Amino acid sequence: MAGIELVNVQKSYVVEKRNVQVLSGISLQVPEESITVILGKSGCGKTTLLRLVGELEQPDGGEIRYGAVHKTAFVFQEPRLMPWLNVTDNICFGLKKQALDSLEIQSIIYTVGLEGFERAYPFQLSGGMQQRVSIARALAYQPTFIMMDEPFAALDYFTREQMQRELLRVQKSQGASILFVTHSIDEALLLGHKIVIIEEGLIKAEFDLPKSEKLPNLLDEEFIEWKRNIIQNLNVHI
Amino acid sequence: MPALCLAVLFFLWHVICKMEIVSAYVLPSPKKVWESFWKMAVSGEAFWDMIISLGRVLKGFAIAFVLAFLLGMLRTMAPASGQFYEYLVQFFRNVPPLSLIPLLILWCGIGETTKTVIIVLASFFPMYLNIVKGFTDCDKKLLEVGDVFGYSRTKQFVKIMLPYASADILVGMRIGLGYSWRAIIGAEMVAASSGLGHMILFAQQMSRTDKVIVGILIIGFVGYVTDWVFGWMIKKLLKGSCKNGWN
Repeated sequence: MAGIELVNVQKSYVVEKRNVQVLSGISLQVPEESITVILGKSGCGKTTLLRLVGELEQPDGGEIRYGAVHKTAFVFQEPRLMPWLNVTDNICFGLKKQALDSLEIQSIIYTVGLEGFERAYPFQLSGGMQQRVSIARALAYQPTFIMMDEPFAALDYFTREQMQRELLRVQKSQGASILFVTHSIDEALLLGHKIVIIEEGLIKAEFDLPKSEKLPNLLDEEFIEWKRNIIQNLNVHI
Repeated sequence: MPALCLAVLFFLWHVICKMEIVSAYVLPSPKKVWESFWKMAVSGEAFWDMIISLGRVLKGFAIAFVLAFLLGMLRTMAPASGQFYEYLVQFFRNVPPLSLIPLLILWCGIGETTKTVIIVLASFFPMYLNIVKGFTDCDKKLLEVGDVFGYSRTKQFVKIMLPYASADILVGMRIGLGYSWRAIIGAEMVAASSGLGHMILFAQQMSRTDKVIVGILIIGFVGYVTDWVFGWMIKKLLKGSCKNGWN
């Protein structure tokens, strides 16, 4: 089996003695070597789905089948940096000793635009810079499967675009599979090979997008049509 | 400013003695105290008493730290273990160590064991409570980062929990050191034939108020210096922290 397969996955939480069903039976195929984007409104269960795939939580029902052995990395909504480590040490946090040489680490630092901040501690960085360190930490691990939970939400427009390009480059060069959660339709269209819309704990629609060598132009007629479709499925009134 | 405050205190002390507001027997002049200190420093009397007290403090403090760390770690790694000894910890935490001196003298005599046990009892609890707090307060979100990278429990403890708790551990150690310094003086006053506590008590029995004041000043000075050194170490070790603590 290639990729990851979710079969009728369910998850609920008890909130103030009340059972809240977050995922009501998700069945999904996450293909290998491509970017699958989970799209939905806040509170629809996107993050829960990602945490279940990342084995940070166990589902109440259903099954998650993993294909080949994956080297996984997770970029959380918050940077989650170790406050006692500087930028370089945080980036190397998941690595075994000397897994990367200093040039490779420097190249990753350059990619995320943090040159000159190698020795800085997290409390000395802005929120966006911290998030870039968190992304660099995941990239340095050289994973074959990356889970990303709204990783670019804290970044400015230019950095976000740069990071999106970098993500596409890494995905292509390493052949990594990426499960990407966002609530931005444009970001989903820019990055996704497959877009899955979740609503109230269920998959409402799936779209398979054509693979492109470069960042797609969202002003193309084709993408405007995709966007219209997605907006209709999300029940967004504009 | 600190020097000015000190100068004012010494000046007031000098004026009170000069005007003979209180008897020289009760409050000897700063000059008399300085002369006594100088004699004790030249003869080595004060130095050896200080070294003996300091040695006892470090020995008891080290034992207390190892015990507090091991029990704190056990409480964190196996929370269910806490129910076996937590009530005992809370019980002894509320018993002043000095109240145990009579019992300890009956059991252990007036040798070194009694004093070591007193210091252990005095410094164990602040360290234990801070170590447990440091470990149990560890940010679960950071532990999840370890999970994602496939860290074992041991590696998670060493790489995440221990550094995270280090601010609390060091603060506990600093408080524990202060407590042990206080406790040793009390213990030496009751059951010792050497050390600063004994020196003060002996001077009081000989009606040498000047020597008593010299002893008090040495205790205060050594306590201040050890605390300053510890504070400096904390600052150096927590270099990545914001406002001296990341939790």
